[in-house]
Amino acid sequence: MGGLTRRRVIAILALTSILLITMDLRNSSSVSSARRLFGAIFHPIEGVTRVVTTPINNIWHGITDYGDVSQDNKRLKDLIARQEGATIANIAGVREAQELLALNGLPTLAGIDSCTGQVVGQSPSNFSQTVEINRGRRCGIRVGMPVLNAAGLIGKVTESLDDRAVVMLITDPAYSLSVKIVNQPPPKVTVPNKVPESPENQTTTTTSTTTTTTTTIAPKSTIPGFTPGVTIATLPNASPNAPSSESTIAGDIRPGQGNVSQITVPPGANLPLRETGALEGRGLSRAPIVRFIENQPRFGVVYIGSPIVSSGGATSLAPPDIVVGTVSRIISRTGTLGPLLEVKVAANLESLNFVRVLLYQPTTERPSAP
Amino acid sequence: MNRILTIAQQPLTRLFLVALIVLSFQTTIFNTMRPFGVCLQVMLLLSTSSGLARGSEIGAIAGFIVGMMYDLVLSTPLGLGAVVFALVGYLAGMTNSFVHQPTWWTKMLLAGAASGLGMLFMPLALTIVGREGVMNRHILVVALVVGVTNAAATVPAERLCGWVLSEPSEVR
Repeated sequence: MGGLTRRRVIAILALTSILLITMDLRNSSSVSSARRLFGAIFHPIEGVTRVVTTPINNIWHGITDYGDVSQDNKRLKDLIARQEGATIANIAGVREAQELLALNGLPTLAGIDSCTGQVVGQSPSNFSQTVEINRGRRCGIRVGMPVLNAAGLIGKVTESLDDRAVVMLITDPAYSLSVKIVNQPPPKVTVPNKVPESPENQTTTTTSTTTTTTTTIAPKSTIPGFTPGVTIATLPNASPNAPSSESTIAGDIRPGQGNVSQITVPPGANLPLRETGALEGRGLSRAPIVRFIENQPRFGVVYIGSPIVSSGGATSLAPPDIVVGTVSRIISRTGTLGPLLEVKVAANLESLNFVRVLLYQPTTERPSAP
Repeated sequence: MNRILTIAQQPLTRLFLVALIVLSFQTTIFNTMRPFGVCLQVMLLLSTSSGLARGSEIGAIAGFIVGMMYDLVLSTPLGLGAVVFALVGYLAGMTNSFVHQPTWWTKMLLAGAASGLGMLFMPLALTIVGREGVMNRHILVVALVVGVTNAAATVPAERLCGWVLSEPSEVR
């Protein structure tokens, strides 16, 4: 490296730098090629160093980020506590719904007895998905009864002995069940309102006179002053015998004010839409699918993550509203064929332990009288 | 085979290989370990240590090579880091001119000062080539932190650079 005078070194380095900076600022392809070539040499070395230095990096972050992690932990605990509260509220809501269903003579899970058992063995066959549980006929278990665990439906009883029963899992190709897919309502498109030029309608609220097309996702009553499902109270001074001029005008209802008549808007518009289909198992390594979903415009597009529950019915293998899983993939098909839905089963079928057999024998599984 | 060995024994070859490893540390562990929000600059340390170990001319050349390699993985204009690092290497190498028989702590001080200056030159150079928003008060913190940490690591880095930039006859 010797032999270069100080001036020459400085001059050469300065000129080289100026040349390179100029080339790079003018987006020279040779500079890009040099970067790519160097990247090809450097990235493997960088990868090895990254692996080697990961423990040191972790120690560093363990020391320096400890406070942040603690705060995050506290925040997440608060979040879990709030969600647990919401879960309790939801459970209460489900309970009320079950009571309402029972009050109206509709079938609910709450009214069905059950027998809890433990999985004691699995099928040695590669072609059937069954498990054996340590409860049987003595507990009231019969062929065809649905079996659940804490997460959801896992299958049905296919054989019942005194203290043993064989349960076919819902992934078994021989398993089929009528299910419901609970979908969210499709986005609602508000068409331009044509406003008649009558004096009454001229005094109507200004929100109905809009002429722009808007897409509103949240379902909302188009009647001004009304909330879906809310009964509007009668004004104290408004009576049929002494109608005021204001109360007789159609649509003269403003938020916070009432009308002479009580009108209840049914809350059906914002309820999730449901569609039925048939769930079929496809083996343990493949997700079950739901067939025979109809292409109904009202039902709209099925979203990934939409819950799937048993549909119930006289010939169904399971009572209604047992959680099966969620939609994990949608396979569209042409024509009138509805989509095929792959199902992510809620229960972990590979690690089953305690299960609950609902003592509900479907009519199709009952032995016919001699 | 002898020719390959001869090339491998050249100081610039050794510098390239060592700088490649140091650069991998720069882009991985030192990129994530950021005391006071400042990314430590071990590539700059290599430049200053080269100057301290082998004088201003060799320090400038080594700094230029190291800076060029750094530029190749950064989004800065190619040659900008090279010229700044070359200047830092040159400045660090002038220690031998100013200080008679420098001790370890004078080398630390000078290396820290050169590194801090380098961290001030860099945004200045970026501003000259048209990069906006890099001249702010934070560069003072950056210069201080990089200067202190590079000063702390000067002694072993200088020994490494002394070996890397030594002539083949000296190595044997």
